Amino acid sequence: MFFHDLKYFILSQLKTKNLIFWLLLFPIALGCFFRIAFGEIYGNLTQTGPIPVAVVEEKDNPVFRSVLESMKGLEEQFLDPVDLDEATALERLKNNTVEGILYVNDKLRLTVAEDGLEETMLKKFVETYTLRETILTDAALTHPEKMEAAAAALSKDCHSVASVSVTTGNTNNFTQYFYNLIAMTALYGSLLGMQICFNNQANLSALGARKSCSPISKAVSLAADLTGAVLLQFLCMAVCVTFLVFVLKIDLGNRLPLVYLAACLGGMTGVSIGFFVGSIGTAGQRVRTGICNAVVLLFCFFSGLMVGNMKALVARFVPWLNEINPAAVISDSIYCLNLYSDYRRFGEKLAAMLLISLLFCILGIIMTRRKQYADI
Amino acid sequence: MENTVIKIENLVKRYGDLIALDHFSLAIREGEIFGLLGPNGSGKTTTINCMLSLLAFDKGNIEIFGQKMTPVSYDIKKQIGIIMQDVAVFNELTVYENIDYFCGLYITDKAERKRCVMEAVEFTGLGEFLKFYPKKLSGGLLRRLNIACGIAHKPRLIILDEPTIAVDPQSRNKILEGIQKLNRMGATIVYTSHYMEEVEQICTRIAIMDKGKKIAEGTKDELKRMIKNTETITVEVLGLSEAVRNEIIQLPHVYRTEYDGERLTVFCSGGTHNLIRVLDVFRTHEIRVGRVYSELPTLNDVFLEITGKELRDRKGDSHVLS
Amino acid sequence: MQIFKAFFKVLKKSIPSSLIYIIIFLSISLVFAFSGQEDKTVFEQTELIFCIFDQDDSAESRSLVSYIGKQHELVDLEQDEDILLDALYYERVNCILLIKSGYAKQLAAGNTENLFERYTMHAGYADILTEQLLDQYVASVSAYLAEGCLLPEAVQKAETALSVQADVTYADFEADTEYPTVLFFFFQYLPYILISVLFNTLCPVLLTMNRNDIRFRTDCSGIRPASYLLWNSAGSVLFIIGIWLLFMGVGMILYGGLYVGKAWIAALNSFVFTLVSASWAILFSCFSPGENTINLITQVIGLGMSFFCGIFVEQSLLGSGVLAVARFLPAYWYVRINNMLSGNEPFRSENVLVFLLIETAFAVVAGMLALLIGKFRYRRLSAE
Repeated sequence: MFFHDLKYFILSQLKTKNLIFWLLLFPIALGCFFRIAFGEIYGNLTQTGPIPVAVVEEKDNPVFRSVLESMKGLEEQFLDPVDLDEATALERLKNNTVEGILYVNDKLRLTVAEDGLEETMLKKFVETYTLRETILTDAALTHPEKMEAAAAALSKDCHSVASVSVTTGNTNNFTQYFYNLIAMTALYGSLLGMQICFNNQANLSALGARKSCSPISKAVSLAADLTGAVLLQFLCMAVCVTFLVFVLKIDLGNRLPLVYLAACLGGMTGVSIGFFVGSIGTAGQRVRTGICNAVVLLFCFFSGLMVGNMKALVARFVPWLNEINPAAVISDSIYCLNLYSDYRRFGEKLAAMLLISLLFCILGIIMTRRKQYADI
Repeated sequence: MENTVIKIENLVKRYGDLIALDHFSLAIREGEIFGLLGPNGSGKTTTINCMLSLLAFDKGNIEIFGQKMTPVSYDIKKQIGIIMQDVAVFNELTVYENIDYFCGLYITDKAERKRCVMEAVEFTGLGEFLKFYPKKLSGGLLRRLNIACGIAHKPRLIILDEPTIAVDPQSRNKILEGIQKLNRMGATIVYTSHYMEEVEQICTRIAIMDKGKKIAEGTKDELKRMIKNTETITVEVLGLSEAVRNEIIQLPHVYRTEYDGERLTVFCSGGTHNLIRVLDVFRTHEIRVGRVYSELPTLNDVFLEITGKELRDRKGDSHVLS
Repeated sequence: MQIFKAFFKVLKKSIPSSLIYIIIFLSISLVFAFSGQEDKTVFEQTELIFCIFDQDDSAESRSLVSYIGKQHELVDLEQDEDILLDALYYERVNCILLIKSGYAKQLAAGNTENLFERYTMHAGYADILTEQLLDQYVASVSAYLAEGCLLPEAVQKAETALSVQADVTYADFEADTEYPTVLFFFFQYLPYILISVLFNTLCPVLLTMNRNDIRFRTDCSGIRPASYLLWNSAGSVLFIIGIWLLFMGVGMILYGGLYVGKAWIAALNSFVFTLVSASWAILFSCFSPGENTINLITQVIGLGMSFFCGIFVEQSLLGSGVLAVARFLPAYWYVRINNMLSGNEPFRSENVLVFLLIETAFAVVAGMLALLIGKFRYRRLSAE
């Protein structure tokens, strides 16, 4: 009986278009879009080219000239200066083709159009220049004989900072969009979970009514359908992860089997949530699908599917939400795998998924096992 | 002594303020084709859903095969076949898969199940459509599939809830014949409908429901005997004089006449040779008559007289037309 | 007229599903409008977020910490690897800095190498800025040491010298009143909403109106096919314009009055794009898609166009290959006009015109295709 029901649940779901659309095609399409949009963005953002700046000479300043000249020889060019007259410079500043204008007089002045890192660096550049003057003037006044030593100290390359990399994982924080994509696909399993209720509850469909009249016990039929839904969802998750890793070449770390495990457990969570949502109330399939979609997207929104640093914001202001938001838990599990070398956090996340799944399954079974309906 | 298969006592079901079933009682005996007749919204489907323990009811008692029916009465459920008003099949599964699935909920043995499914297929004449999906089936075929899913496991009790809605006459006849055949093979049948012709045609006993109450119960003849009218005679005749009409109304068993200038209608209650007596009157007066018919009362007349309204409401009719 | 009325009755049914999009979009726009609207006149340098672990814990190291704290934001984090990783990954801190023990001693000895350890994750200007800051500080201190000062004095003098601020003026381009940032964002995201709304409403309605049985029944009534098409088109046009006007109304509320100058170009741009989305929706409905297909295609076209053409992610951040493909999509040209209006790209009126024409071409081609396919389908139907 169990396997009979299981077989036909899987058979009927495999032929349902909903499944193919939301669990297979949509994630794949979205994955492609993410790949397109975020494929080069991390590279572009972490790339630091020379900052374009307009130089407007109001008065000849050979010292500044020589500084500029000396900088050209540097390995990492920091500025990309162009000599312009004031009008052109302003025009370019307005168009964003230069980040700032350096007015060269006895002193340097800087004009910028907006706040920002590049602008701040220009300001620092000007300050370095004046700092040098200040210190050397100081030296000239107090210890003229040591001026040279001071100048040497200033010119010396300091290398005061040693940079330590904190992880060997994929640090591209745009990858989190893909973590969330997996979470979204997992949660779309709720559509499958909902279907279980439709097939079993007499007050939701004629099919459910017919099944309720048959001698198959509800416990067996629910168990069979839940198993079927979870198995199908495993399949969808495997397709999703495989597509991301092997077709889109997203770096999900080098512990791939565990990524599959996390994705599958996440899928189970999705199914159980849908099962629970399906077991409340008597609204129709369309309304319920709408609710499910909205809930899934809301979870994903707070997990950062739409806005990348949402999870950080949540972690800052409502940290507990990240612990119970299923989307956040699923995407975090894969994130942890990628960045941490140990398995502690990963294990915690898996446990959380199991817990959420169990909770919703039990709640759903309690709701569905209420056998008679007040209204059909 | 015939066994009682279904016993319903004082069933009450409310939907909020609306009383859907009002102290409804019913007893159906083994081997019957029992017709549950009533207009739309009279409580037929509610009764059936309560019988099957799908609906919770407020008061009353339901026994099937002598046992109290509960949602976990799997032994009872095993012996019931149900054909719902709405077609309850998977759109994603083929005809064969659908029948196999539902049959499999009752019969676990594979070989036996296969035999049952094929018998059901043959019975409903779906043989050519085994690989079809329900969406591709015509209305009549879909109904037949719906029936096949309900009877494949050879139940002792078959409940059909308006199985012929939106079905063409040919398919309908096939379905009705099938139901009679099932009955001959030993199944007790509960049949609901608002088409009285169907019920008249196949049912051995009938209950008429209205507003959640049973207003009459018995065989066709018993029901018809419950009303005054036993025969209606219509005679096409022009220019009938008042004197002749008076003469006719004086005849034994005639209790009322109607005349519209072209057609005389004579209502009789009891008696056996009413038509001859009426025609005798015309012959003695040498009046030429056109067509003459004599009709026995229909269930509709029964219903009309008991409730004062037509059995079939407009909604039901438009269903057939569209 | 009957047809026209029926059109809107059917339309009413599909409105709730798109209402979600409209409501979400409008509320986000409003939040945007009332949060980030301040005029800036003074330059503020970017504050980085530092988390500093001071292992040296000397007077000098504390002085350095407070020096950094004056210019940048300091946060305290637990010295737990996971927490630090998270903070870096989600950019809650830009830099985790470790002042190594022995910092003061090394500095006094004139040794400037490897005084600090910096834990990083994402490269970028912030890294360079951090290094500059520290190198400059260390260099200045060692310069004063070279002058013969003692360490505390050198630190103090260096900090004084470092505190001299550069003279930065804010180029006063008189905040763009014709096209403020709020409006830029409003128009930037509008295409996604337009596509979602128009596809979700127009497709189902046209599908219903063109369903074979309904078409047949209507044809039996003696209404000419041309007139059927005409009334349906009239309904569609009225609805499309209605939707556009609704958004323009909201735009004006955000704007705080009737549009002026460049804002009208944006309005025109959005109108053309409305036509594009509508014509695509109509074209799509010609293929009689199912409900699920409508859903999927709406998402694919809406999201796809938004990601491809620089609606969700600035065009300047997209790869050149992506942009090359995006040229074949209307939203690309829409966004370019919007960029020109906001000054992200040099404004040239002839370009605006050309881009608008390109967008129009997308609409015209889709419209013609829809007509052709519709006609073909209808013929085949009648022929059967």
